[in-house]
Amino acid sequence: MTSHVTRPDARFATSVSQVTIAALVMAIALYFLSSVISTSMIQEMLGLRRQIDARVPTFLIRICCLLVAIAAAFYAVTGLSMYKRNKLAWAPWLFLAVGLGFFIVYVIAPIFQSISYSFTRWNGLYDINGDWTGEWVGLQNYRVLFDDPNFYTSLKNNVLWLVLFMLAVPIGLFLALFLNQVVTGIRIYKSLFFFPFVISQVVVGLIFAWAYNPEFGLLSEIWSWFFCETKENIMGNLTRVCSVEPPSILGDEDSATYGIIAAGLWPQIAYCMILYLTGLNNVSSDQIEAGQLDGAKGWKMLWHVVLPQLKPATFIAIVVTVIGALRSFDMIATMTQGGPYGSSNVLAYYMYDQAVGEGVGRYGYGSAIATVLFLIMLVYISYFLLRMYQDEKEGS
Amino acid sequence: MFPKPIKTRSRAAQLTYKIALPVALLLWLLPLLAIFMTSIRPASDIAVGNVFGIPSSFQMLQNYGEVFAKTDALRYLLNTLLIAVPTMLLSVALACLTGYALAIYKFRWALPLFFLFVAGNFVPFQILMLPVVDISVRMEIINTVPGLVMFHAAFQTGFCTLFMRNFMKGLPFELIESARLEGVGELQIFWHLVLPLVKPAIAALCVLIFTFIWNDFFWATVLIQEDSNLPITVGVRTLNGEFVQQWHLVSAASLLAAVPPVFMFFIMQKHFIAGLTLGATKG
Repeated sequence: MTSHVTRPDARFATSVSQVTIAALVMAIALYFLSSVISTSMIQEMLGLRRQIDARVPTFLIRICCLLVAIAAAFYAVTGLSMYKRNKLAWAPWLFLAVGLGFFIVYVIAPIFQSISYSFTRWNGLYDINGDWTGEWVGLQNYRVLFDDPNFYTSLKNNVLWLVLFMLAVPIGLFLALFLNQVVTGIRIYKSLFFFPFVISQVVVGLIFAWAYNPEFGLLSEIWSWFFCETKENIMGNLTRVCSVEPPSILGDEDSATYGIIAAGLWPQIAYCMILYLTGLNNVSSDQIEAGQLDGAKGWKMLWHVVLPQLKPATFIAIVVTVIGALRSFDMIATMTQGGPYGSSNVLAYYMYDQAVGEGVGRYGYGSAIATVLFLIMLVYISYFLLRMYQDEKEGS
Repeated sequence: MFPKPIKTRSRAAQLTYKIALPVALLLWLLPLLAIFMTSIRPASDIAVGNVFGIPSSFQMLQNYGEVFAKTDALRYLLNTLLIAVPTMLLSVALACLTGYALAIYKFRWALPLFFLFVAGNFVPFQILMLPVVDISVRMEIINTVPGLVMFHAAFQTGFCTLFMRNFMKGLPFELIESARLEGVGELQIFWHLVLPLVKPAIAALCVLIFTFIWNDFFWATVLIQEDSNLPITVGVRTLNGEFVQQWHLVSAASLLAAVPPVFMFFIMQKHFIAGLTLGATKG
């Protein structure tokens, strides 16, 4: 017969005034956001009439409204009895809300949107009523894609990138071993060796495009030490005569991709090197000494004692190299733009070219290419997540 | 230590190593050095084939001055700064919150959501490209600096969350437990207890994100077409088209684009490397 009445604990009671005021503020902010603020209104308020870009101030005002609404919503929630009773269950969601929402809108949802675009024919435009102008075509884009020779060239080049880019891992290890010494100034050497990674890929691309230039690039200069001599012609000017003409690496269909990959390796090796240098720092000296007692030296020591301890560094190095290889875009855009005749295209660049390059505007087709690229990447992402999951299980 | 310290080897080996070091560095940075030499020589040198020798006259100031005078390089640099700094602040701030939620609270969704951030971070850009353009068009911020910042901040939140969450997992959890028992609110724990402890992570992330965004090219080409809003990476590519065969100017502009991240790297080296190598040592 225990029918006790649970008296509401004052600590857990909903503070009505707090919730009401916060909800009101939120409603007003959302109302402003949804219907009052428009680009034309802000433009009129600024009185600038087309002279200045009204989009930016409009956007900033909208963001402020949104922030006020979010803050008010949080304040309202913290006033609720539900929240007060079970803080530990609610709090993480409040901390997550903005970041997660933002990430879902800009990163997660677009993945599915892109996949759905790939079943349509669309040029990215809306008609005057704001309605979508595309049409549903089912698997048509994929059927065209699998008959497209350019797609296979790009795919082949992607595989080339993946395979050759992996060279960055052993070369990075080798460089790290070379630099893992204690001599004066070694720190500066290490950071100078890391230099190429800090520079933008566009700049690296430009540097190498210049270096490869057959007329006055670095490579042709070195070439001429072996194959050319400078002669004075009839006019008295100095000209260069070569027994074998220097190769035009980026102008040749067969070598363009290799030239770009070599350029891409430069910063990637630096990255792998720094990963291994940090790893080598943490190699336990006990195990090395134990190995020495067992008579391990040089390569044997590296293979059996040091490399197993560098496993985490190797894993990260492989992951970033795979991602770097599949993301290669900047260098192709600066060095060859996929040419000559599409021979140095990769999926990433081909997709861009089809969707927005040169006014093609094939959104559906571009999305189909992007989906294929995504599926390739998904293999690696799944593997990486699986590894992380196993680590988490072991850790807890 | 591996390999064997050079000090324990013969004098000859030590000497060889000390000579090999600068030679290797010279070879490694040869392309950079060559482009620097090109950027300080007059155009006439390149025309007569003096590409790698000593310049006939040193024109550093003239060449770099010409880049600023003839082009919008200054405008591009400013735009990049306006893109990189707000992105950095926004994504690091958001990641402090999300990382805290995923590291400190034990709820069923913590691991799946963490993996969502990690997975999103590795996705190829092209699968996001068209929908992001579409969102920006509808929000009327395509072709503007804030439009680019919005995307970058959202995308970088993924990487920053990965980093922050792992860093916060390493904090002593008993500290937070005891604060809770004392009745300290969740927000207070975050602000007064956890944030001061993750300052090194914040610094590392700031340097990294700044450099990543400074060097971004793809999203800038996709989301910005208006010349006055372009960042320097795209600007340099455009200049490359304008200065046909004027390699001394192209190289000067390229180096200009590379200076700020390099400078940032040198002053914040420790944080930069700590950020990049996170996870490479544990496990």
